[in-house]
Amino acid sequence: MLKNIVVNIAYYLDTSSTYQKRKRFYYDILENDKNKYKKFIDIFMSVLILISVAVLIREVKYNVDDYLLFFSNYIVSFFFLIEYLLRLWVNSSVSKIIVKRAEYDSFLLRDVRLSKALKEVFLVKIHYMLSPQAIVDLLAIMPFFHQLRVLRIFILFRVFKLFRYTKSIQIITSILATKKFEFLTLAMFASVVIFISSVLIYVMEANQPNSQINTLYKAVYWAIVTISTVGYGDITPVSNEGRFVAMLVISAGVAVLAFTTSLFVSAFTEKLDEIKEIKTVEGIAKLKKLYLICGYSDVASTVAKKLSKAGNKIIVLDKSESRVAEAVKDGFVALAYDPGSVESYKKINVNLDKQVRSILCLSEDDVENVYTALTIRSRSKSVEILSLLINDKNRKKLEFAGINKIVYPQELVGLITKELVGVPVAFEVIHELRSEYANVKIDELGITQRIVDNFATVSELDNKNYRIVLLGIYKTSKERFYFNPMDDTILEVGDYLLVVGYSMFIREFEKYLHTRVRSE
Amino acid sequence: MSKRTALIFGHNKYADEIISNVKKTYSNIRIFSLEDIDADSSYKVEKFDLSDEWKGIGEDINIEESIAFCVLEDMAENIFLTISLRSNFVDLAIIAVALNRESANKLSMAGANKVIPLVETTADIITNMLEKPISSKILNNILYEESSLKIAQIKIDTESKLDNHKLASIDWTRYHGVLILSLIHEDMKSEFIYSKKMKEYVIQSGDILVVVGYEDDISEFEKIIGSKRYVNWSHWRR
Repeated sequence: MLKNIVVNIAYYLDTSSTYQKRKRFYYDILENDKNKYKKFIDIFMSVLILISVAVLIREVKYNVDDYLLFFSNYIVSFFFLIEYLLRLWVNSSVSKIIVKRAEYDSFLLRDVRLSKALKEVFLVKIHYMLSPQAIVDLLAIMPFFHQLRVLRIFILFRVFKLFRYTKSIQIITSILATKKFEFLTLAMFASVVIFISSVLIYVMEANQPNSQINTLYKAVYWAIVTISTVGYGDITPVSNEGRFVAMLVISAGVAVLAFTTSLFVSAFTEKLDEIKEIKTVEGIAKLKKLYLICGYSDVASTVAKKLSKAGNKIIVLDKSESRVAEAVKDGFVALAYDPGSVESYKKINVNLDKQVRSILCLSEDDVENVYTALTIRSRSKSVEILSLLINDKNRKKLEFAGINKIVYPQELVGLITKELVGVPVAFEVIHELRSEYANVKIDELGITQRIVDNFATVSELDNKNYRIVLLGIYKTSKERFYFNPMDDTILEVGDYLLVVGYSMFIREFEKYLHTRVRSE
Repeated sequence: MSKRTALIFGHNKYADEIISNVKKTYSNIRIFSLEDIDADSSYKVEKFDLSDEWKGIGEDINIEESIAFCVLEDMAENIFLTISLRSNFVDLAIIAVALNRESANKLSMAGANKVIPLVETTADIITNMLEKPISSKILNNILYEESSLKIAQIKIDTESKLDNHKLASIDWTRYHGVLILSLIHEDMKSEFIYSKKMKEYVIQSGDILVVVGYEDDISEFEKIIGSKRYVNWSHWRR
């Protein structure tokens, strides 16, 4: 009976979307770095920690206000308790484990063995509770029982909790963790030296009447002070034998210190690029409407410069380190990831459908471009892909790979020459219109609801007053361009006006379109 | 002797594209290649050497009426070829393709009348496709595709009706279905039709109008104003 109820509840929770959504929310604000609210939780918790440490320090010599003590001991602990319980809750799913067990057992046509499921739940939760971070969390709640004086010191465990809330400390720990073996060797070496030297100095000095090193504890203290090259000099060996030992320890100390420093330095230099990469990737996740350029060729670098001049955000991916370095030098966010590997897109953590305007495959090799396009298509069906085509024979393959727009430079040469020999002057004029440096520009203005409300037909546009040539109107509904439209052409939302004029006047005209109110 | 001739230097993809696009305008096409000639080409390919003095060519064809395309893939060779052609034929119109960023400037210094900077142009096309998709599509149609919408340049003759008319006095945008974009003076400076200078400007013979319109309308327009479409290379002379 009870068993059935438990299983039913588990099924209910596992399928309830509100429950799962709520759980997901708490998980995100506690654990997911990409959640925008997590930052505030982290800051809030850090402030609580700093307040309680400040109270602890103040309390040593002065009298602290009762309210503040109450706050530090109970309220802060209460917050930490809630946090601890939430973490324990979101860390694994009890309902999932029970449901899985129930499914498994019913599949084998036998009674649901709830005890096994509960055992598994217990193990999973205990495993979490025994993780170092969870232990620190638990100890940080301890000051709740502050009547026990010893427990007061547990406030300092709250400082350890800061690790959770600061990303850079996590990075430092992870960097140092990569040198685990070296640090272990160093620790072994240092402890052997300390052990030998403290025993030696104890043997040599303990019976000297005017020596201060008369206990083993003092001997160890002296050895550590000496080996670390700190050398307080509060206790010193007096016998010749003792001084000889000191000389050995000092030499060993230099080695230990040099070894330690070099370890830290090498760990950080090795990881420096990785840290930079992490920072770059973090920055990318926040961008919107970006252009992703795969392959930093000559064309790519020119395109990137033009696009970024127009105020677009650009990310460059290229296999080759040297080309990435070039892109970075040109001032772009660039990563030495292979654009043809799914892994790269996972690493940069970009939502191709939502964050990316277009992906440009601009490598000077059709094989690479096709490969990249297929990789991207495997992650997103809808993102727009533009690619260079180097050899006309491969056009079909590019189309098959799902590339939306293909640019074939060789064909361009042919077309340009045709215009050049046919209408050279006109060609230059059009070319001028397209160039970003010219005063006179061609531009497209979108028709919004507001414009439709105030301008019914083309004749009302009054573009001539703004010294603008209306080249035509693009009807999105019919996907057709109407050149030099009749006066009575009706404007519809979604249409585009193609205008030629001085950029200043185009801006003015656009403003006029958006602000004029029809006078009845 | 006086045949209009297209001289194409280099036998590659670029050359093929150029041939298919200019064969209507230039009845006589001669292709020169640095490499050994393969037989299966539909055009006769002649071998040449960068140290050639081009004595034979000058006698064969009318240089004034001809145009040369330098499309060698090695940019150093292409530049050398351009210099060599320019030093031998002062009046030859030379169009050169620059395959990388640096060579565009060098080619025009070497004496090419017109350089097609491939990297720059491709980048322009891509940027326009992304940022101004509609205008780029329409302009491409006007310029490159076989659409009925065309861009043309029309020269005003002394007999033209428009000669001595004030530019601003004519309603250009509604003039028989064609749009006039700009006017080019005899000194080859182009002026946008709505620019300040154009307000009081009186059309003179020799001016060139750049118009956009449907093929039929343009022909009609030509008839009415009594001028004709016009191509010359004089503005490319150095």
